[in-house]
Amino acid sequence: MAMVFRIQEKVKIPCYTGIIIILGKTMKILDSIITIDELKEIANNTFGSLIKAVVDVEKKLIAIDAELHSDLEALLIENNSEQKNLWGINLYPDIEDEDFLEFDSMINIRPSQGNKSRGVDSPEIQKEILDIVNKWVKR
Amino acid sequence: MGKTMSFQHKELASGRWAQMSLCEQMANIGSEVSRAFNWRKKNKDDLSKEAINRALELLDLTVDSQSRYSRLKECLRVKECLIDYFYGDNVFSSSEILWRKYFDAFVYATRKA
Repeated sequence: MAMVFRIQEKVKIPCYTGIIIILGKTMKILDSIITIDELKEIANNTFGSLIKAVVDVEKKLIAIDAELHSDLEALLIENNSEQKNLWGINLYPDIEDEDFLEFDSMINIRPSQGNKSRGVDSPEIQKEILDIVNKWVKR
Repeated sequence: MGKTMSFQHKELASGRWAQMSLCEQMANIGSEVSRAFNWRKKNKDDLSKEAINRALELLDLTVDSQSRYSRLKECLRVKECLIDYFYGDNVFSSSEILWRKYFDAFVYATRKA
């Protein structure tokens, strides 16, 4: 199956020191369905067992494949997503049960939205995220 | 053991990690520690160990990026206590609650949400 990604070649991110950092070339916002085998290949090239991802629950988008969730968050915001709609997750392509998807990222801590943990406290938002993942990932 | 090191966080190890503030570094390390606890609760020790190893790798990058003694002491104590908790006998009597509280403070400071 051909994999068509919109690849973000370069991303400029202002950091606290004012330095502009050019990030790597691996981050992607999915624009076609991805298979488990393709996810496994990506995982093998990074952490082995997991792939970091950020979901936009408003636009129903997923950005994947970075060393930090905050990089994917920045990529989506640069592409007109709003931070309040973004949630960090991890995908474990070798796991077939519900542990395939893990709600855990420091970008999720947003007390202003009532989310006080690294997880996703709202079951409704968890469901939205799961639906979006199921839409983009062929399992 | 070879002289070259193999990092999982290749991009971060190549210099980007050192450009982050200590708070950002510790917040990200805390994410991996959080995952290690999550998998431990589910009795998936292999995934828990993978997560704590990623945390330890990032801690080593933090140690490499710090020069102030007070910060180095803090980071190295954290590393020793984490290893004690996940690989040792927990002689320092740390707990999941304590670790989460410790690292969450850095996340709050970083995100300023």
